[in-house]
Amino acid sequence: MISLSYYIACAVVLYIIGLYCLASKRNMIKLVMGLEILVNAAHVSFIAFSAYRSVGYIDPLGHSVVIMSISFAGCVTALGLVIVTYAYKHYKTLDVRKLRRLKW
Amino acid sequence: MFTPPLNALLVFMVGTPAIGWVIHKKGYPKVQGIYASAGLLVAAYFLYGLSREVSEKGIVLITGPLPFNPPLGACLQIDVFSIFMTMLYILIGLFTTVYSIKFMERDSGLTEYYTLMLGMVAGMTGVVFAGDFFTLFVFWELMCLTSYALVAFRKQKWESIEAGFKYLIMSAAGSATILLAMSFLYGMTGTLNFAALASRLANTSSEGWLYITLALVIVGFGIKAAIVPFHTWLPDAHSAAPSPVSAMLSGVMVPTGACVLIRILLLVFSSAQPAWQMTLAIFAVFTMFGGNLMALLQNDLKRLLAFSTIAHMGYIVFGFAIASPEGLAASLFHIVNHAVMKSLLFLCAGAFIRQTKTRDLRKLRGIGKTMPMTSAAFTIGTIAIAAFPPLNGFWSEMMIITAGVRAEMIIFSALMLANMALSVVYYFRLIRIIILERPTKVSKKATKAPVSMLIPILVLAFLCIFIGAYPVPYIDASSKAAEAMLNIGAYIDAVLRGL
Amino acid sequence: MEVARIRLAVLTTVILAILIFWMLIVEYDFPAFKYVDPNQPPELVENDTSTIGQEVSRFLWEYRVIDLIAQAFVLFAAAACCMALLRIEERKR
Repeated sequence: MISLSYYIACAVVLYIIGLYCLASKRNMIKLVMGLEILVNAAHVSFIAFSAYRSVGYIDPLGHSVVIMSISFAGCVTALGLVIVTYAYKHYKTLDVRKLRRLKW
Repeated sequence: MFTPPLNALLVFMVGTPAIGWVIHKKGYPKVQGIYASAGLLVAAYFLYGLSREVSEKGIVLITGPLPFNPPLGACLQIDVFSIFMTMLYILIGLFTTVYSIKFMERDSGLTEYYTLMLGMVAGMTGVVFAGDFFTLFVFWELMCLTSYALVAFRKQKWESIEAGFKYLIMSAAGSATILLAMSFLYGMTGTLNFAALASRLANTSSEGWLYITLALVIVGFGIKAAIVPFHTWLPDAHSAAPSPVSAMLSGVMVPTGACVLIRILLLVFSSAQPAWQMTLAIFAVFTMFGGNLMALLQNDLKRLLAFSTIAHMGYIVFGFAIASPEGLAASLFHIVNHAVMKSLLFLCAGAFIRQTKTRDLRKLRGIGKTMPMTSAAFTIGTIAIAAFPPLNGFWSEMMIITAGVRAEMIIFSALMLANMALSVVYYFRLIRIIILERPTKVSKKATKAPVSMLIPILVLAFLCIFIGAYPVPYIDASSKAAEAMLNIGAYIDAVLRGL
Repeated sequence: MEVARIRLAVLTTVILAILIFWMLIVEYDFPAFKYVDPNQPPELVENDTSTIGQEVSRFLWEYRVIDLIAQAFVLFAAAACCMALLRIEERKR
């Protein structure tokens, strides 16, 4: 069996990739995808912990958290995509840098 | 299922679309707003009953209908602090809803608007009621989702879309960070119940992973609480949202982030207390300076108020960082005062904007001549928020500073005092522009605000004076809430007593 | 030119951060379930793919019923959010 450390390392690496995606990507849809990557990092970590609680058994607490959290991520993505469609209507582009009329 | 006030809020939230459909058929205007206000009043009534129960028992534990109890099962755990915050949510929610009836009448989609407004109040209530980290997260998502949609509500303007998108990305990243921190806590203890976490992690000072989790929690909730490196969503979201929504966001939602953060830090990370106290104090000083310095440069009324919110979040977080009973009580009292003052200012700003169609301070000069009542209330709010002695802001800010001096954080207290002096500059600039200067073309054309908008404004202005004149009962209430927050033993016992 | 340099710097930082974290995590073990309460036996489920779904859903309905019902309200609110933003603007006369 692979050591648990590798799964945690994977989760943290996924999290950093998600943050990199949010910081550097210009396409608004890719930003929403970055959010999904961030949430999935946490999911990987939950599932790994629940599988490693004891040998041959899994802990259903971690699974139930992930099941519910997936649907929340779906809600946020849906709302994000709705806002993206309106941004596209206003600007005729998905480049987030064209949007920066507001001061950061 | 949940507690009566939360049930009422959720049921009224689900009922709003049905009412909206009936109204659409019959063609009565404004009924949704009255319905939502009625929902909040019903919730306030139930909250009164719950508060009596809490004051008798200390902590009320709500589990599901089936006999599957915490720590493994989900639970709501209500103490004095939860009741204290919920009263504030329902009060401010009621004022903003009554105000919205007139303010939003020219917008479409009012049914959805009131649904989301009730959903936001319900979400915040659930967040302070939750006794389990994942229950907290569920209600946190309810609060976040509704606030994203409310910020982007006027979708025909580019500004709200842009601000909404930025807010969504930053805040959802914060939620994901909280989820990652949750997974680490779960990995260490095998449970997500706050009481179980608190009792298991009480003596673990030399655990490196605990500090990583602590950092993730501070970042995740800090994004919502607008602590300075993570504050960039706030000015845009506050200035782009409709004014009642900015009053809700600034008055109660942003402080909720700080409240939940300190609650989790006190319960779960009690073994790392010196570390997070110092971190929060340093963040608080950055937050104060960032907010105040940026507010000096603004020419947009709502943006100025938004930066002032950031500065006040700095004061509140500093009070929490002291973590003594006095510091917590002072911060909770300041949350009440800030909610009253800042929602008053945002509602007045909304009235100005509605009558003049501009947010530019240069065009709003001398509006006091044409809108005397609103301007008088605005002046009261500004004087209160600048912490002048007879009004409410003074008491709580002085309490935070005294608590800081007593806890030997003198440098930070001095920095906070300097910040208060700095903030007086832009508040006086606001008063001068609104009252003293000669009216411009735009402000001459303005008419008086409608009565149903004036009522919440005047009641809030009255509250500013009233709390300033009789601060003792409010200070008592916030001290009780602070005691409940610090009484971790009772919180743990309420869940784990039978085991 | 400027943008390319910034991107390069960000990418390098990210790769370095990933490497450092990987080293740290593999070197210092996560205290997995070190602080579990021994008096609280967990409700474990046998790792069998044919029954695991039913077992987890039973756990959800028994222990997490508050979360589940709150989740229903969150989904309702999400639908209301999307409807609020996707509404058709009526033309004002």
